[in-house]
This record gives sequence, C-alpha cells and structure tokens, in this order.
Amino acid sequence: MILAIDTTSGSSAAVVNRGEVLGFSGFDDPFGHAENIGQAIESAMSEAKVAGKEIEAVAISRGPASYTGLRVGMAAGLAFATARKIPLLGVVSLDAVASIHGAGMDNKTWLVTSDAKRGEQFVGVYSGLDGNGLAERQEQLQVMKPEDLEKNYGSFPRISELCDAKVVGIYAEKADAAGVKLDDLSALYLRSPDVTPSSQKRVSG
Amino acid sequence: MMDIRFAIPADYDSLVNLEKEIFGDQAWSASAMVADLEALHTQYLVAFNGSELVGYAGLSSPAGSFQADINTIAVSEPHRGSGLGSEFMNRLIELATRGGAEEMFLDVRADNLGAIGLYKKYGFEHIDTRKGYYQPEGVDAWVMRKTIDQPLVLGIETSCDETGVGIVKGNRLLSNALNSSMEIHARYGGVVPEVAARAHLEALQPTIDTALNEAGIQLQEIDAIAVTNGPGLAGALMVGIGAAKGLSAAIGKPLYAVNHLVGHVGADILERGSLQTPSIALLVSGGHTSLLLVNDLLDDVELLGETIDDAAGEAFDKVARILGLPYPGGPEIDKAALGGNPEAIRFPRGLSLPKDMAEHKYDFSFSGLKTAVARYVEKAEDSGEQINTSDVAASFREAVVDVLVTKALKACEEYGVPRLILGGGVTANARLRELATQKCSQAGIELRIPRFSLCTDNGAMIASLGAQLVMAGREPSGNGFGAESTMEVSKVQSL
Repeated sequence: MILAIDTTSGSSAAVVNRGEVLGFSGFDDPFGHAENIGQAIESAMSEAKVAGKEIEAVAISRGPASYTGLRVGMAAGLAFATARKIPLLGVVSLDAVASIHGAGMDNKTWLVTSDAKRGEQFVGVYSGLDGNGLAERQEQLQVMKPEDLEKNYGSFPRISELCDAKVVGIYAEKADAAGVKLDDLSALYLRSPDVTPSSQKRVSG
Repeated sequence: MMDIRFAIPADYDSLVNLEKEIFGDQAWSASAMVADLEALHTQYLVAFNGSELVGYAGLSSPAGSFQADINTIAVSEPHRGSGLGSEFMNRLIELATRGGAEEMFLDVRADNLGAIGLYKKYGFEHIDTRKGYYQPEGVDAWVMRKTIDQPLVLGIETSCDETGVGIVKGNRLLSNALNSSMEIHARYGGVVPEVAARAHLEALQPTIDTALNEAGIQLQEIDAIAVTNGPGLAGALMVGIGAAKGLSAAIGKPLYAVNHLVGHVGADILERGSLQTPSIALLVSGGHTSLLLVNDLLDDVELLGETIDDAAGEAFDKVARILGLPYPGGPEIDKAALGGNPEAIRFPRGLSLPKDMAEHKYDFSFSGLKTAVARYVEKAEDSGEQINTSDVAASFREAVVDVLVTKALKACEEYGVPRLILGGGVTANARLRELATQKCSQAGIELRIPRFSLCTDNGAMIASLGAQLVMAGREPSGNGFGAESTMEVSKVQSL
C-alpha cells in the first residue's frame, strides 16, 4: 500500500494499492500547498481507512514544477517515510503523466508539457509504452520557450494533463514492480537559482 | 464561590495569621513565612471567601532542578472538607507541570491517613520515612513522590539558512541537530531565499535522523511536533511546514505552529530549566533586530522596537564586504577589530538622537551606518590614503553594539525589568557580549546569554516553545496553517 503525494500544481495525496485508488484528496489552490498538504494526506488516509503504520511506501512527485509548492509535498513525503522507516519512491511527474495518460499513443512520439512559469514549458518527449505500460522517455527533460517548442516539436501530439497523487501512486507502483529505479529523490528544478554574485557599488558620487 | 489566585504582598499579614491559627506552636514565624513567599523559587496560591483568606498552598521549585516540593497546603478549619484541598492540589500539580518539574515531593504526617489517601489518589507514592520528624509528639513523616511525564517534543526550524531539528522533554534539552547552508550563501554575500529553500529540502532527512540518534529515541515516541511558521523566508518556512505535517500524519501526533522570535526567548528555558519573567529580550541576527518585553512567554510578548531597515547581522555582512572581508561578516569584523581603536572614527548611532525618541525609542537603523562606513572608505580610496581596517572595524562594531546595548538597558530601566536575555547569531560577537556584561553588571541587571548553539537559529528552541504550549494544556494548531513571513511577535502560536 502506497501513500502518494503530489504538489506539482495543486496539493493532493492518494492511497493506492495494486492499481486501485483507495483514498484521494486534492486541493486546486496553486498557492496553498503549505496550508493544504496535511489535510490532503489525512483525508486520503481516512478515506482509505488506513493508519500511518499500514502504509508500506511513500511516492513523491519530484517535478519538474514550480519550486516552492513542489518542495512542500516532497518534504511531507520525505518526513512521512522517515517517520515510518519505509521506502521513499521518487517520481518524475511528466513520466507519470506520460504513462497514465499516454495510452493510445502506441508507437508515436508525443510530448508531455507543464507550465514552467516565466512563459516557458517543462517538456518531456516520449515514444511508446513498454510492456509494463510505462512510457519511455527519449530525451532529457527540458525547459522551453513556446517558439522553440513549436520549432522542434510542433508536429507531435501533446499531453498537458496536470499531474496529481493518483497518477503518481499508480505509476510508482507499476514502475517499482517493473524494477525501474525510483531512488533519485532530488527535486527537479531544471533551472539554477535566479541569482548572481553582485558587485560592490559605490555609495558616494 | 472561592476565589483562588497567586499571593500578593497585601495578603502577607492574613497569611501569617492563618498560619498561626492553623498550626499554633508549629507555625512558621512571620519573617520565615514572608521570606518564603518572596523567594524566587516559590509560588503561593491563596483562596478567599469574599474578603476572608481561608487557605493557601505553596510550591517550591528551584530553576533547573526539575523537581517541585509542596511546601504546604493549609485550609482554615471551617472550610475543610469543602474540596479546597483538592483544588489546591490540582493547581499545584498544574504549576509544577508547567514549570517543567519531572518529580513532585511532599512530606505528610504518617498518622494523617486522610491526607495520605488524597495524595495517593493524585499519584504520590511513599518513598521514604523520616523517623520522629514531627515533634514533640515524635510522629513520623512520610516523604511522598509523584512523577510527571513531561512531553517529548520534536521541533523543526527552517525560517532562514539553518535547517534545525531539536528534541526536548519538557524543559530538558535532548538533542539539537543543525545543518547550515551558510557556505553556499557566502559567494552571494547574503542569504538567497531560493538557495536556502533548496538546501532545507536536502538537509531535512539527515537532520531529523541526527536529532533522533542524539536523543536516543524513535519518532513514534514523540508526543507532539512543533514547527516555525513565521516570521522568516516564505519558501524556506514551507519546507519545514511540509515536513512537520508529513511527520504528524505518519505518527498521528499533534502539531504546534510557533513563532520563531518567541522561540529564541524560549531557548533560555533549556539553559536554566525555566524562564524568569518579566524579561527584556534582545534578538539580533542576520534577519532580525528586535527588542521584546516578555511578561509571559505564551500569553504576553510585546514588541518594543525593531530595525526599520537592515538587521544588525546584515550590517556586519555589508560592512565586511566594504572592507574586503568574507561572509559572514560578524566573526570577520570581530577579528579585524582586534587591536583597533573603537573611538578612532565616530560613526553615527542610528535612531539615537532626541528627535528620534518620540517615534523610534526602541527601534534600530543600521543602513545609514553602513553607508557612513562606505563613504569613509571611498573617501580614503579617492584621496589615495590607506585606511586602518582595524580602526574602521572596531569603530563600526562599537557603533552597532553601543546602540543595541543602550536601547536594551533603557527598556529594562523604563519597564522596571531586572533581566535581559540575548538571542540570535550576533550574540557570538565578542564586543556585544563584553559591553552587555559590563553595562548589565553596572545597572544590576541579570544578563542571560544561552550557549551559542541555542542562540543561533535552531530546532531545540522551537521544540521548547512547543513543549511549553503542551505543558500549559494549549490546543494544537490543527493542520491548516501556512507560512507567515511577517508574523507579529505577539502571536506565539498559529491556530
């Protein structure tokens, strides 16, 4: 039984067992992650009628996503797993969306995109689902301006479904069972912090 | 209806009389009684029926002893059997618990079976007998003890660049783990919020693990979780809040969202076993410069003043840069100031002129001082003169420290408060400690400076404030709170 947590857009948590969502709670507010994450986890667990000690693993969305919100869910999942001494599974949210919403894409190449703010998009390029129903990512995840996205991948079908904890949980279970390594637990920011060492300015003219 | 409250000097005469009435020849003398009433380590409750004193109860609990003794519970003859004795007992246990006692003791006549029965009901056990203690009859005294299980609280602090996780049991410090991202910020010359938030997420798990290992406990044993939810950097605070909510959901334990600045004041509890109030607190760091009047840690903290521009620690960082010294500036300025003349250059003391007193009596300003140092250095450079870095560093430091200590002592004087607590990273500054020690000693003010690991941002102080809330029986914060970057100091807990 997995507790999945996602704060890549809103805040949501889900309890998933063998492909079945036993409990889910989601909040759409794109700025209320810190406020909502506790309620999301507790509601999902109470809907699934499970206590903390019955959870066997925690799956967290690593993004890419807006940083501040992303970290709230990751911190909550990390702390939960630390408290219960259970495995923590790191999920690339675009991979999860590609796998869950990519059915029917067959052998085509398609894109999964999500809002990267500053007028840019996070982009994953996928080709087909493998035998386990997992989408195969072709390239590194990217941050792209709309014109570059159009120029490079304009002709490909595009999925821009939002990620949530159900998608993360179902994907994590499948991927884990298929032997995919989900042990990278770092946040996917895809950009360096927006800061440069400043130079000393004179105060007198 | 009986009115129970703390004893005040106006009650002393009636207290002495009632003591005589109840205990006759065995009564304490008036002077011994008053000395005990006025002692720092005692608390006396009095019960009035209208204007008539009908009972009193005293508790003795020296700071840092983690023990409380019931000195006396006395009820006037006509009011015995009214439940007043039990009411006093409840209140004394509550006071002992709030005060951090882990054990409570009392003496009782071995032949007073009624009282012994009552004490047993409250969880007291017979642990020792003093033979023939009550003279002249030669009746034995029973020594009885009650253990108080103080709450085990884990605190998380992520308001700036330190990831702190601390564990306390009541007023006792068990562990205080810290991971700092200061070195990463060094190249930017100051704390970069996004860099700090990223570092918190990475440091979280190792810091939690270290705190648990040091304390030798399992997370499941924790009774409550406390977390800083303001003031501080929003993105950084949210990492701690996310973690606290994850922990709380995992182990099903309550959450307390607490104020970072009040946490700094609460740090002194871990040092001496209790907090003496009222107290003036001067909190000085890279993010804060605040002067507080603390009448009661949980219910009455007042902001007297704060910086209107740069924090004191920030001024040290900026001036260090001007002088070509590395970040963080505090220790570097301290080093550079060694052997320098603090009176070589008269740098301005911010908000210290008579005209500032009306509006900014207890506020601080360091931005003008920084500019004055920059102008001094640039002027020297322009005219090709060599500056004496030691003199500049010493004079700048003197200007900062002078204003801090002067205003803090003025507050002690104006509010009649005989003690000053320092907190925040700038307390590491040698000259601040020196001048505060000297000025407080001259003014007869007790100076409290917790050890450095409890002065800088840390998780133990947050755990300590959380424990105080639990010990006082406060409701937890629920799980709907968020980060409040500009939280007022009067708000100790977010609900």
